[in-house]
Amino acid sequence: MGFKKLLTKKMEFSASHRYWNPGWSEEKNVSVFGKSAGPYGHGHNYSLEVTVEGEVDVETGMIINLYKLKSVMSDVLGDFDHKHLNDDNPYFKDLVPTTENIARILWELLEERLGDNPKCSLYRVRLYETHDMYVDYWRK
Amino acid sequence: MSLTKTYRFSAGHRLYIRGLSEEENFKIFDTCSNPNGHGHDYYVQVKVSGEINPETGMIINLQELDNTVNIVINELDHKRLDIEVPYFEENQPTGENIAKYMWERIKPDLGEKFIHLKLSETSNSYFEYYEEGNYPYEH
Repeated sequence: MGFKKLLTKKMEFSASHRYWNPGWSEEKNVSVFGKSAGPYGHGHNYSLEVTVEGEVDVETGMIINLYKLKSVMSDVLGDFDHKHLNDDNPYFKDLVPTTENIARILWELLEERLGDNPKCSLYRVRLYETHDMYVDYWRK
Repeated sequence: MSLTKTYRFSAGHRLYIRGLSEEENFKIFDTCSNPNGHGHDYYVQVKVSGEINPETGMIINLQELDNTVNIVINELDHKRLDIEVPYFEENQPTGENIAKYMWERIKPDLGEKFIHLKLSETSNSYFEYYEEGNYPYEH
């Protein structure tokens, strides 16, 4: 029987956002998104947990070098940390920056940078918006 | 994709079987059978899964999720479960039964999306309730 090997690294970032669907009236936006539709946005301290799955390299004893994972995560979060996601980030021009959508975009950016490696692949992205709410994104 | 939100309530309970002596109850339930009850801060994690709605960017509207779950939270919060909540007059107010009760109260409103419930009684013990074969961490 085989064993699954996972490694998770956490990183925090702070960003502001506004929930707004430009195709809707102001009334509809407020009725669906409530306070999150405020015109100037609001912010959160997000916590990102990136989990990779893979084989433990015999020589290094690692699934992935943590310095590499850290630099990949920092690089990806450059467009997110201390930014207004609707205004400063290229991915939310036409996409509501919900926790669900942020997690999905982060998955795509991380997977692209981690490359195609059969011995170490992205397993799960867990994104906490607040300490009591998180989203998981993974490949089925 | 899934979304998990944590809720909290505080409640008292006593584990005991009617008709048994205090000594016999103590043998089964230990200090949990203390005649005057005791309490916990319970943390409940409600997990929903589904596709992102393209218009809202959400799996589920958090306000609607809160409204649904808080109805059940309010039934339990600051209550002595085995005295003030009818379900627990008939069922032991153990973590297992509280998790089952919450699942059954929430499930009709959330439907298919609701896949997993985790109830933490203390920082050392928690209970999970979900449909067999649908454990969200094996995919």
